[in-house]
Amino acid sequence: MRQRLLVTGLLCAAIGGGSMAMTRIVADNAASVSDSTMEHSAGHDRESATRPESERRATTFAVSIRKPSGPPRIATGVHDLHGNAVTVACSQCHTVRQPNHQNKAAGDLDEFHGGMAFSHGTVSCLSCHNDQDYDSLKLADGTRIEFSDVMTLCAQCHGPQMTAYQHGAHGGLTGYWDLSRGPQVKNNCVDCHAPHTPQFPRMQPTFKPRDRFLDKPRTEH
Amino acid sequence: MTDDDKSGSEHQPGELSGPHLPILNQPSTRRTALKAVGAALGLAAFGRAVSPLWSIPENVSVDEFLQQHYKELSEADKKKVFERLEAETKENYGANVTISDPQPIPGVRFGYAINLSKCNGNGACMEACNKENNHHRGVDQSYIRVLEMSKGSLDMEHGTTTFDHTVPQDDKFYMPVQCQQCENPPCVSACPVEATWQEDDGIVVVDYNWCIGCRYCEAACPYHARRFNWEQPEIPAEEVNPDQGYLSNRIRPQGTMEKCHFCLHRTREGRAPACLEACPTGARVFGDLNDPDSDINWILKNKRVFVLKEELGTKPNFFYFFDS
Amino acid sequence: MSMSSTTDSIQSPVESADLIRSYPGFLWWGLGEATNGGLRFYVWMFALTAISLVGANAWAHQVAEGMIVTNMTDHVSWGLYIANFTFCVGLAAGGVMMVIPAYLYDDEEMHKVVIVGEAVAIAAIVMSTLSVVVDLGRPDRFWHLVPGIGRVNWPVSMLTWDVIVLNGYLLINLHIVGYLLYMRYLGRKPNPNWYVPFVFLSIAWAISIHTVTAFLYCGLGGRPFWNTALLAPRFLASAFVSGPAFIILVMRILRITTGYTAAPGPARTLIQIIRVAMTINLVMLASEFFTLFYTGGAHGASAQYLFFGSHGHYGLVPWIWTAITFNIVGAILFFMPSALDRGSVRITACVLCIVGIWIEKGMGLIVPGFIPSTLHEIVEYSPSLVEWKVTAGIWAFGILMLTVLLKLIVTVFTGEQGTAEA
Repeated sequence: MRQRLLVTGLLCAAIGGGSMAMTRIVADNAASVSDSTMEHSAGHDRESATRPESERRATTFAVSIRKPSGPPRIATGVHDLHGNAVTVACSQCHTVRQPNHQNKAAGDLDEFHGGMAFSHGTVSCLSCHNDQDYDSLKLADGTRIEFSDVMTLCAQCHGPQMTAYQHGAHGGLTGYWDLSRGPQVKNNCVDCHAPHTPQFPRMQPTFKPRDRFLDKPRTEH
Repeated sequence: MTDDDKSGSEHQPGELSGPHLPILNQPSTRRTALKAVGAALGLAAFGRAVSPLWSIPENVSVDEFLQQHYKELSEADKKKVFERLEAETKENYGANVTISDPQPIPGVRFGYAINLSKCNGNGACMEACNKENNHHRGVDQSYIRVLEMSKGSLDMEHGTTTFDHTVPQDDKFYMPVQCQQCENPPCVSACPVEATWQEDDGIVVVDYNWCIGCRYCEAACPYHARRFNWEQPEIPAEEVNPDQGYLSNRIRPQGTMEKCHFCLHRTREGRAPACLEACPTGARVFGDLNDPDSDINWILKNKRVFVLKEELGTKPNFFYFFDS
Repeated sequence: MSMSSTTDSIQSPVESADLIRSYPGFLWWGLGEATNGGLRFYVWMFALTAISLVGANAWAHQVAEGMIVTNMTDHVSWGLYIANFTFCVGLAAGGVMMVIPAYLYDDEEMHKVVIVGEAVAIAAIVMSTLSVVVDLGRPDRFWHLVPGIGRVNWPVSMLTWDVIVLNGYLLINLHIVGYLLYMRYLGRKPNPNWYVPFVFLSIAWAISIHTVTAFLYCGLGGRPFWNTALLAPRFLASAFVSGPAFIILVMRILRITTGYTAAPGPARTLIQIIRVAMTINLVMLASEFFTLFYTGGAHGASAQYLFFGSHGHYGLVPWIWTAITFNIVGAILFFMPSALDRGSVRITACVLCIVGIWIEKGMGLIVPGFIPSTLHEIVEYSPSLVEWKVTAGIWAFGILMLTVLLKLIVTVFTGEQGTAEA
């Protein structure tokens, strides 16, 4: 802005001439110099121009993270007298079965697990699922962890993503950017990444601006 | 000059020597009368020719015509203007809306960043922008354009916005572009009537009731961030977003310029911009550049960040980065 | 010319006051004289009026229905109107630059041509102002541009500079033409104190209007095609071609229709000016061409599209090659010795150069600045029927004005001649 004023100031002198024009430029320049000094200091010593800490942290609303409702329940296909589907916990079957630590792929599994798709590195089922209590998960060191706290489990391997998540650079949010004015809700890892096939799915764009005269998709050059 | 002189000048040497109609040789008083008739007919024809303009008084009230620049409006003036605009929206669109005028939060300077490793080009941000900001539905207008870029190049020459296939493609990355809210905005310098300016929180706004529609700002913007209302926007009553800001998402009049305003009617209330909330990949980060602990500052410090067309010296407050 | 020396150039204050008071009377007389004529004259005026009205009607529709009736888009946001504006500014500037030899060298022979040049300048300024007005999305808010009641972003916005210099230029030229004609009408010798300072001012001003108009474009860093320091010099060089070429055409038409002639000297001077200016223009074009294509890269994307087409789009290729061909052929014709003697060669050359420069500065300069867009999208542009109608209307109105002015000039000049001969 200042440069532009300077240039137009020269123009003034060259073409328009006149002392009135010059005084106006001088005044404008003086104003813009002080402006830019302020911006300058704001850039390097941001504290000086920021809101006071007290105001920023006056009241802090909560950042809440969406959580899965709990351990999954398995539909049996049977309905009770009221017509409600009968579901069972994982432990219903798994307490009477031997855990198999080698299971990694759909082919290793039977019954309703058979059709599942897996694409999550080289981990095995029991890297995350808890063979001591199938209604919970476990960390790498064997510590039991609830399904609802799954993010701690993910963070064991996905540290950089977790760091980014904690700073709002991963995961998205809804609500308020300013926690002194309202709460924020953030996604859970499993909201976007299916645990067994965590890659974010492909999507079909549904919305395109329909500019006049803009061509059909350009073929490669 | 005597009459003789005049008639003499009618027959100058070299005067058009075509056949003379009898009326052309009438004495000058009759000739003057004929000229007057001709002028009257001409004026009448002119009035007929510009008759489509007579519809303007219906659409542009005297109050609107005489309305002063936003910065010259007193609080009382603003109240009257907002009430008039609300009534006009009710009349023209059948929607009950509230027009507010949120002011910049003292000490806050907004910044926005997009994670290009995350963005997959699905375009949900464009759609959210369209709905939030009462854009013209006929052309699916939006302040955001998403470029599909070839991996290995940041040259927009190798980008396209018209892709229509599942995303992301393996050899592509996706780059949404919207107003960069430059610290040194070329559009503001260009505007001949100060209808667009930068606010204290860095947002460049437009007074839609002051813009004359010359589109010089649109030529000046290096980021294709500005849009012109080529016709009166059409929005079904039930789709009109009733939460409107005077300098942001109120329905714009035909023939004026508009642009992304970081959803200031939301963000100045502390809420996230609509495009951020809509992003299914979490690629967007918004916050206060003056707050050292803000998410946006964490990104500036910890990610390798770039801005578009840095060589132009526009100093965008809009950043792009990649993971790792 | 012959009798002006007989009158006294010194006026008493009382006389001056009388002169000012009788000026409106002169204008009224002039209006009457300028609208007298034969059948062909009335047919001509009627046709121009009709075309103007068609343009006014198209513009009224555009204002009422929105600029959607044009073919401009958010990608190509300026089109035929601004292209025409740029050309007309050049015409206005070029028209008056003829003043330089006439007054600097006190070339009496040139005066008859100069006054025509000033008339062309006035009409061209009106056309360029109209071209901007029709390009506004909200012409009802035009008053926002008026200093005092509006908010003028001066001196930062180049567009405000343009508004100021164009209006100032119009006033200066109206004064010069009005004063010189009035004095001749009265049979007095014009008092140099009343017009020479303005003549010099208008020379500087003519350069400034075209320079400022070039700055309008070349000041935009986001448009590499325009962002070249060569733009203003190119504008001036092409103005030195289109202005004199247009004056030669007008003088020819005047000779045929009214017998108003000037000695061959001024025409030769004009042709010499055109020869030099056109050569400089072509050299600068070649220089641009070299920089854009030898360096290559994204800065040449618009030039690539303009001259050779890109990504399967060739919309402007025929336009620009037509312009280049016309300019080169026109230049060659001007350089032929026969251009000084034979009317047909000269007229052909003038027409070729005017059309060539109209394209070069319009469709060949304004439109490719937007293609590809700043995000490198390619959206092509060709004017809609409404845009053609409005532009034709502006030209018809400009020529109408020019006709009235020339009619007045011819009447004053030849009327006086008649008296002298008698």
